Amino acid sequence: MAILEVKNLHKSFGKTEVLKGIDFSLEEGEVLSIIGSSGSGKTTLLRCLNSLEFADRGTITVAGESIFDSSVDLKARSEKTLREKRLYFGLVFQSFNLFPQYSVLENITLAPKLLKKATNEEIEKTALELIDSVGLSEKINNYPCELSGGQQQRVAIARALALKPQILCFDEPTSALDPELTGEVLKVIKSLADKNMTMIVVTHEMSFAHDVSDKVIFMDSGVIAESGSNEILTNPQSQRLKAFLNAFGK
Amino acid sequence: MNTFLIVLEALNVGFLQTLKLFAVTLIGAIPLGLIISFGSMSKFKPLSVLVKTFVWIIRGTPLMLQLLIVYYFPGLVLNNPIWGSGESGRFIAASIAFILNYACYFSEIFRGGIQGVPVGQKEAGQVLGLSKSQIFFKITLLQMIKRIVPPMSNEIITLVKDTSLSRIIALQEVIWAGQSFMKGAQGISGQIWPLFFTGIYYLLFSGILTIIFNKLEKKLSYFKT
Ligand SMILES: Nc1ncnc2c1ncn2[C@@H]1O[C@H](COP(=O)(O)OP(=O)(O)OP(=O)(O)O)[C@@H](O)[C@H]1O
Ligand SMILES: [Mg+2]
Repeated sequence: MAILEVKNLHKSFGKTEVLKGIDFSLEEGEVLSIIGSSGSGKTTLLRCLNSLEFADRGTITVAGESIFDSSVDLKARSEKTLREKRLYFGLVFQSFNLFPQYSVLENITLAPKLLKKATNEEIEKTALELIDSVGLSEKINNYPCELSGGQQQRVAIARALALKPQILCFDEPTSALDPELTGEVLKVIKSLADKNMTMIVVTHEMSFAHDVSDKVIFMDSGVIAESGSNEILTNPQSQRLKAFLNAFGK
Repeated sequence: MNTFLIVLEALNVGFLQTLKLFAVTLIGAIPLGLIISFGSMSKFKPLSVLVKTFVWIIRGTPLMLQLLIVYYFPGLVLNNPIWGSGESGRFIAASIAFILNYACYFSEIFRGGIQGVPVGQKEAGQVLGLSKSQIFFKITLLQMIKRIVPPMSNEIITLVKDTSLSRIIALQEVIWAGQSFMKGAQGISGQIWPLFFTGIYYLLFSGILTIIFNKLEKKLSYFKT
């Protein structure tokens, strides 16, 4: 059974329809890359999955659990169930969004402690392991303003992992970084893929996408114009994907 | 020397009234300013327009005029002198004018502080499953405070000096006390130096506040927003 199933997702902002019926599914442990030109709706899709936006139509199901269903009145569900449904997903933002007033360690332990996910000692132990796994053990007591962009993004990944999401989403995790810093972040994502973390990665890094993905979706103005295995990056079928990849000098 | 002590004591009494007006204004204007800032950010258009118009009127007219209107309007226009003629009535009228005026200035600072925190902060909290109040108290509040401390300290130091405007309705604050020795009080008359001397009080007090606010800013400088 697929861990994630998205069916017929529609989303409009005012009069502009940004998602025009998105369907896909993802198996546990798979990595899905989403590519597509600017404004094609990639971020909006991730935000719908993470309940930062609510679709107008369609359903989202994780491991058999309904995360979103447009036939159910939004207002009927409580803030508490909304928060629980959010925890099926993690989201790593393009702009990191670390909490500036907290140290690296505190950024990671804040939510698990507030949500009482475990005892404080266990939470800190897990956090230290996560920090170690992203290679920042020397920085646990530093503040975000004292870190490079690449280091901040690695903390953001550890922060998302601390809540043990079923599916971790990345929205262009390296776009805000200087080119020489993208490698260290991509390496962390790759190591998660090797540990069979289920992930959805919106990215413009084509060779990385090819390297890490089990599935690739190419979005174009609100629809999935082509999808398949990572083969489609080297052997695109549709004219639109060919043109898109050409523009990337591929 | 005896004269000096008499003057000093009178100025101390006056400055106590200055401090009282200062404190009452802060205590009233900070919560009212928060309410006004929420009103001006309301999604309910009529409310936000009404509140913004009020803020525009208060910020667009002199505090001295507002003092005069609050103090004289009930008696001279409505024939209902609710403030009476004593010092306590003048103090209440001055407090109302100062609280309204400063609440409007504070509300703009609070609004900037609230809106200045990037939405990404709130969204990061949301995707971590935090509740609205956890996001406010654990994530955005301190960032807001850091943003508003510098403009608030400017306003508060301006307030120290603005309290002297209440002289216009004869509130017996420190300027009034200093001036009284020109016309004559307690056997001393024709003296201008007590009025000039009041400057020392303002200098000392605003100096202390500056030090406190600098400390606070420094305390919050360990992070950058
Ligand atoms: N909150 C919003 N209100 C109105 N329009 C929006 C909003 N969010 C996104 N849009 C619009 O929806 C469209 C899709 O935006 P989205 O951010 O999903 O694209 P994207 O594929 O992530 O692009 P990029 O590669 O530039 O990040 C754009 O035209 C954008 O202007
Ligand atoms: Mg985007």
